[in-house]
Amino acid sequence: MILDGVNDAAKRTVYSLQEFFTLAGKAIGFIFVKPFYAADLFQQMDVIGVGSLGIVLLTGFFTGMVLALQSSVTLAALGMTDIIGKLIAGSMVRELGPVLAGLMVAGRVGSGIAAQLGSMRVTEQIDALNTLGTDPIKKLVTPRVLASLIMLPVLTVINDFVGIVGGNVIAKFYLGQPTGMYWRSVFEQVLSGGFTLHYIPNDFIQGLIKPFVFGGIISLAGCYHGLKTSGGTEGVGLATTRTVVMASILILVVDYFLTQILLAVFSP
Amino acid sequence: MSDDEDDRRKKQDERRHPSEKDETSMPRRARDSGRVRAAIRTELEEVAGDAADKNTVKTTGRNAAQTVIALDNISLAFDEPILENVSFAAKEGETVVVEGESGTGKSTILKLILRLLVPEQGRVSIDGEDITHLTFDDALKVRQKMGMVFQGAALFDSMTVYENVAYPLREHTTLTDAEIEARVREKLEFVDLEPDKVMDQMPSELSGGMKKRVGIARGLANNPEIMLYDEPTSGLDPLTTATITYLIIKLQRELKVTSVVVSHDIRSAFRMASKIALLANKRVGFFGTPEEMTGADDPYLREFLGGF
Repeated sequence: MILDGVNDAAKRTVYSLQEFFTLAGKAIGFIFVKPFYAADLFQQMDVIGVGSLGIVLLTGFFTGMVLALQSSVTLAALGMTDIIGKLIAGSMVRELGPVLAGLMVAGRVGSGIAAQLGSMRVTEQIDALNTLGTDPIKKLVTPRVLASLIMLPVLTVINDFVGIVGGNVIAKFYLGQPTGMYWRSVFEQVLSGGFTLHYIPNDFIQGLIKPFVFGGIISLAGCYHGLKTSGGTEGVGLATTRTVVMASILILVVDYFLTQILLAVFSP
Repeated sequence: MSDDEDDRRKKQDERRHPSEKDETSMPRRARDSGRVRAAIRTELEEVAGDAADKNTVKTTGRNAAQTVIALDNISLAFDEPILENVSFAAKEGETVVVEGESGTGKSTILKLILRLLVPEQGRVSIDGEDITHLTFDDALKVRQKMGMVFQGAALFDSMTVYENVAYPLREHTTLTDAEIEARVREKLEFVDLEPDKVMDQMPSELSGGMKKRVGIARGLANNPEIMLYDEPTSGLDPLTTATITYLIIKLQRELKVTSVVVSHDIRSAFRMASKIALLANKRVGFFGTPEEMTGADDPYLREFLGGF
């Protein structure tokens, strides 16, 4: 009996994984296949990017401030407060910026995508698209995935910047550090080794590859659970919850492995 | 009420045009509604009159007509069997109404015709082409021959009425914007909606009957040769039900569209059907004309028809 249960659960998991990766493959493949739903893409970029700007600005600014505040205690004890800019920039660009932007967007956009597609599923609008000769993955999933892939790195860069600005506020008013000194320290960290076509600093690579991957995770999780919705409005609620849980956990887990890989490949 | 007020009302009445006087006690909306109801009644009486002749006319045409939709020994199961050896066909211009109790797989039949589901056994043919084993992309092309009206209309709620009806035209034709607008207006007028009033409205602003009519207009936009209806009259009041039934009959008569209608509404089914397929115990228990159905001695049929 127990073995049967384990067997069934394993089968369901493998089947779900297969469905998820099939959806991901199709959605990404359709980016290069006509017709291109440009209007839908721009609309989604607006919803995902511009719509999430507020929470990303707030999150980034306060995270930068609290990070500076906490580290200033340790750095002051060691007499190393002049490197606070380096510390804030490194933490924000490599780790906190992508992860926090990812988690915020997962909560706001991932759940929105799941709710919208879930409602379309339960009100037969997805079936209507099919009967009108349109592939729902191409029309609904591809624009959302592409918009997320484009907009999450943009949001992360903004998040990084306001985080560093938040750190600057604390460095100036709490530690009394001149702004010029703070920003010199920031650039030392971010542009260590220069920035040329042949050498892109590790911080930039990590800081941009991660949100790109997280963008894919968030949009695909939302689309997957949205399209799989069944059971009316209760199903829509479940789909949104599952999306936020799945996307948040995947962001944190994938972040660890991605960091390992990026450090191994790009470390100087 | 004061005498002054009475006098004022009398004077107002005298100033009114004679044609207005008999209706002044009714609110304007109620008067409009009364006129619409009367118009529908007249139209339905015409349809009922035509219905007496329709079978003779159709029988003559039907012999020569080609089979457009054919289900041949279809079996389908999910966790348990849904359909077993289901067969019926719809010839060009015919309206086949699929009747049956809830949960007997009526809507599943539409999904099989649309190739949204693939049967485990048997074949579904459209215009003689077996669509059972088509690829997803080829199935999308076959679906362009069909228009579908969903139980809840399934209008895209982020689009206006105009965008909904224009959607299949923008997707699958190279018509110009002006041509698309002309087609949208034509289809909305066909379903008795005023284009200028409804085109810019969102689906959430429409009544249930209007949504169904926009759904029919969207289904018709591409001039399909096949129309499929899933419970087109469910959840509607009797007069709106009559209007939708009338529209389906109008489509059949004026555009010669082949239709499959899934319905619980036996009264409407008798009005619109060329043939009725009754699903019972996962099979087609009866397939024939409404007259053959009422004349049959089968106890289940008699029970199903009840007092009709």
